[in-house]
Amino acid sequence: MKKFAYEFFLLGLICVVLAIAAFLDPLFLSSDVQIELSSEIWELGLLTLGMTLIIITAGIDLSVGSAMGLCSVSLGLCMHANLPTGVCVLACLATGLAAGALNGSLVAFIKVHPLLVTLATYGMYRGFAEGLQSATTNAPVDASEGIKALVTGNFPLIQILFTALTAWTAILLGRTATGRGLYAIGHNEEAARFSGIPIAKLKFWIYTYTGLLAGLAAISYSARRSATAEAGLVLELDVIAAVVIGGTSIYGGRGRIAGTLLGVLLIHETRQFVDWYWQRSELTLIVIGTLLILAVLGHRFLFAQDPDTH
Amino acid sequence: MSRTSKPLITIENISKSYGGVQALSKVCLNILPGEVHGLCGENGAGKSTLIKCLAGVVSPETGTITVDGKPLSHGDIHATEAAGIAVIHQESTAFLDLDLVENLFVGREIKKYGWLNRRAMERQALAVMHRLDVTLDLHTPLREFSIAQRQMVEMARACLRDCRLLIMDEPTASLSARETKTLLGLVKQLRESGVSVLYVSHRLEEIAELCDRVTVFRDGRLVATTPIDQLDRNQLIGQMVGREINALTRREEHAGQTDEVRASITGLYSRGSFSDISFEVRAGEILGIGGLVGAGRSEVARAIFGADRYDQGEIKIDGASLKKGSIQAAIEAGIAMVPEDRQHQGLILPMSVSENLSLTILTEITRHRLIHHGHETAQVQHLMRRLAVKAANAKMEAASLSGGNQQKVVLGKWLAIKPKFLILDEPTRGVDVAAKAEIHRLIRELTEAGMATLIMTSDLPELLTLSDRIQVMCEGRIAGQLDGATATEEQVMRLAFPRSEAQLT
Amino acid sequence: MKYRREASLIVLVGALSFLATLFDASFVPANAIDILINSIPTMIISCGVMLVIITGEIDISVGSLLGLLAATLALLSSTAEPGLGIHPYLAIAIVLTVGTLIGLGTGCLVVYGRVPSIIATLGLLIALDGAQDWLMGGGDIKHFPQELRYLGTGTTIPINLILTILVVAGTGLLCHKTALGRRIYAVGSNPSAARLAGISVTTTKLFVFALTGMLTAIAAILWVAKLGNVSTSTGAGLELKVVTCVVVGGVSIRGGRGRILGVVLAVILITMIRTVLNFMDLGSEAVKWQRAIEGVMILVAVTSDHFTQRNQPGGKS
Repeated sequence: MKKFAYEFFLLGLICVVLAIAAFLDPLFLSSDVQIELSSEIWELGLLTLGMTLIIITAGIDLSVGSAMGLCSVSLGLCMHANLPTGVCVLACLATGLAAGALNGSLVAFIKVHPLLVTLATYGMYRGFAEGLQSATTNAPVDASEGIKALVTGNFPLIQILFTALTAWTAILLGRTATGRGLYAIGHNEEAARFSGIPIAKLKFWIYTYTGLLAGLAAISYSARRSATAEAGLVLELDVIAAVVIGGTSIYGGRGRIAGTLLGVLLIHETRQFVDWYWQRSELTLIVIGTLLILAVLGHRFLFAQDPDTH
Repeated sequence: MSRTSKPLITIENISKSYGGVQALSKVCLNILPGEVHGLCGENGAGKSTLIKCLAGVVSPETGTITVDGKPLSHGDIHATEAAGIAVIHQESTAFLDLDLVENLFVGREIKKYGWLNRRAMERQALAVMHRLDVTLDLHTPLREFSIAQRQMVEMARACLRDCRLLIMDEPTASLSARETKTLLGLVKQLRESGVSVLYVSHRLEEIAELCDRVTVFRDGRLVATTPIDQLDRNQLIGQMVGREINALTRREEHAGQTDEVRASITGLYSRGSFSDISFEVRAGEILGIGGLVGAGRSEVARAIFGADRYDQGEIKIDGASLKKGSIQAAIEAGIAMVPEDRQHQGLILPMSVSENLSLTILTEITRHRLIHHGHETAQVQHLMRRLAVKAANAKMEAASLSGGNQQKVVLGKWLAIKPKFLILDEPTRGVDVAAKAEIHRLIRELTEAGMATLIMTSDLPELLTLSDRIQVMCEGRIAGQLDGATATEEQVMRLAFPRSEAQLT
Repeated sequence: MKYRREASLIVLVGALSFLATLFDASFVPANAIDILINSIPTMIISCGVMLVIITGEIDISVGSLLGLLAATLALLSSTAEPGLGIHPYLAIAIVLTVGTLIGLGTGCLVVYGRVPSIIATLGLLIALDGAQDWLMGGGDIKHFPQELRYLGTGTTIPINLILTILVVAGTGLLCHKTALGRRIYAVGSNPSAARLAGISVTTTKLFVFALTGMLTAIAAILWVAKLGNVSTSTGAGLELKVVTCVVVGGVSIRGGRGRILGVVLAVILITMIRTVLNFMDLGSEAVKWQRAIEGVMILVAVTSDHFTQRNQPGGKS
């Protein structure tokens, strides 16, 4: 079980957070409160799946939050035009795919540094989202009943999809040739290329997949609140923080979905409790920022056999 | 040089261990003024650690180093510099983004009123380049220089400081024969001027030519320090490995060679790298390609393997032409390549031996889209046995293996796909004597079993002993062909030099 | 060509000015100073972040840091509630010290804690943002003493502009005329070789992070002085703008390469885009697409190099 030592450490941290919460206000742990507060975890969770794959290849995607905003606006436009739910969903996902594919092709085929590509598309996608919204509806669009049902109905498709995608991504990463290739790229791209790993294809694929996940996250967000260009604002920071807290190395080559999930849970529980108990969002930011740095320090000093080189 | 003079450097009882592994134990050594002192040993024998201790990069746990009778403080780069010790490290210490002058003076810039004095630095740079008899542009970023030229810059950097001891850690590992000759000339010139040199090399010819005394290391211990004239080649190897090794013998003539053409390359051309490259390699044959570093050999290898694109020409494997610029297509066609840079292209160092070995056969060990661990382990165990990889287990990081074993893993990774055509680019660079012999044995075995092999090497004995046929490249073209059974080093070198220079020599 | 990037940036700035002149001949003379003054915070911080990126690290916390420092300055010097109304010069000194110390702290996290700089500064970005909100307690802070406002609104001499020019010139001198500057490039170009050449990689990195902290403090002071108003969103998003400018200015994200001239031109260019778009008054429709247009232009800028370089023969690296 030595391999999963860091995951146990995270689990311990989550328990500590929950214990403090239970001590201060036992009500927080009640299932009603937990369920009520859980709604936001799906968007964060979905995006971290793709981000984990990207960071494992030593890449990064700063544009996920903006892409989510763009998807949300296109969903809003479709709903505004009273299109059938299926079409709305398809349009939203297609927008996400396109946004991801643009990132992916620039990174994989034109070989621009992912930080630069997504730094540019970060502003661009949000810009398009705002432009599109103000040029058309000029206001957030309330989710149609059909979309709402996907998230909050008896058959919460988004949650089910999230569970399925998590399992699928974990297996992909841990047990398949594709996963092995992603780790190889993260450790040493040149050697991976010389071993015949299809680098461009894999990279293109993971950015596109992340775009698709942004589309799903946008559906979840829009159903809970409304379809707006503001969807996913600064969410990329939480996403990256969760993945890194989960033990994925920003230098690439190391990371697991299990860790990422625990990272999401840790951030989520901490945020919800601080928000809920003290009712002060600024405190949450301070706690999460500190948590991120402490987690990386902890990983470095408690678990790394030998220091990372870069 | 007089044998009785007082030593410049005295090393006493130096020990150093890394995480339980004793890298150096109680080493005593002295270096006389104006002597070239050879340092030999297999990889991991402790040479590099000793150099790092001398250079002040790591601190030894016990022992003392004295320079001219004055003790040197451990682990202090500046104290080392002040004592007149300069090091040319094995790994490149060039700053590729900086130009030549900036490289020469990095860390010891000349200042005037606190500002950089560029003019003075240029003047000194020119002087030192003149002394070394090298002409290089002062304002070109080092990125645009060849590896050999960068090595010259390192020499110049060391000479700039009026050092009393110059430590050179395998300075010729990536140099061609001609460049090596220039470098050895420079070392001799330094010795004339009274500088001591500590010279580390795997190339025994160089040791024999250059050194006054030679010290052999094995497993972190000093085996012996002997004047070079009391030692022959086999004794030296014997000291290094602790057992006798059969000297390399030439391959039995054309054993297993067939007439079946495996790979045919016609009119390959790449702007600025090579042109008019045509040759055939038959099944069961080893074709060696010799030439100076920078002659375009690696570029040809990379083009065939699909790592680089080329402008014109055709590559056929078993008669079928190969898609250009695609490594996947090359592998599909049965081509494998052991690239020149093991650490960056050959291996993924942080991954385990097992993961490295199975990287090329991921589809083969996949069942129902999942990697089958049983199949993987079986394949990996088989490969490790066949290559005699010395590793505690397959889960070890590739980085923790010695150079020779790392190279075996690279080779093994490609044997796994049962290649029809194997390209080896400098397969034994930085590999110790024992592992080198095993790698050679493997290459022969495989070729005799029907594989076609293309080997590019700067190591002349290796080229001559392994190859059935030899082609020599010069300035991006094939300068001539020789028969592997009869070729001599002189013949190869004559073809390797550009025409005008060949007439001069 | 060594100055290719600078040349193409000058061409772009020229083209943009020309375009604006087509709409109104007096645009450039009338707005040149405005554009420069608008670019001041980005310009000053870019100088620091450029050095950080040249050493091979990155700092994405500068936006939040500017916000926090502006909030601190506001609280200390504002004459109205909840300000403490202490003497502005003392307040400025405190803010400069705090900025430098936070920068130094970031450096320590990176150098001694070995936290990758993008993660360390991401953590700080989030935490400092929270700290800013916490200090501000919600509302805006206004009413600053004249001595402070004078730095940003002095009519006869634009003190802020002069300060900026000094910072830029100082950075240029540091880069190209001092041993320290040379070492900053060496550290980014090849850290292990720099160590072997006797350069202290640790000290060099600590220096650039601390300098960035101090420059951010200067930018924060000028920001408050000019606008006379600090809100919880002050500084938000500035870090990405700064990194964009530095990268568009030709500084390699992998370290070791880049010149101040390119960065200065990039800051001017990116500030100009918005001013020109605003000015051209393309109708209410176009205003909505401003950010999108900006984004597309930045994307083109960061990818254009790769298109032109791709077909050159690939030498061995």
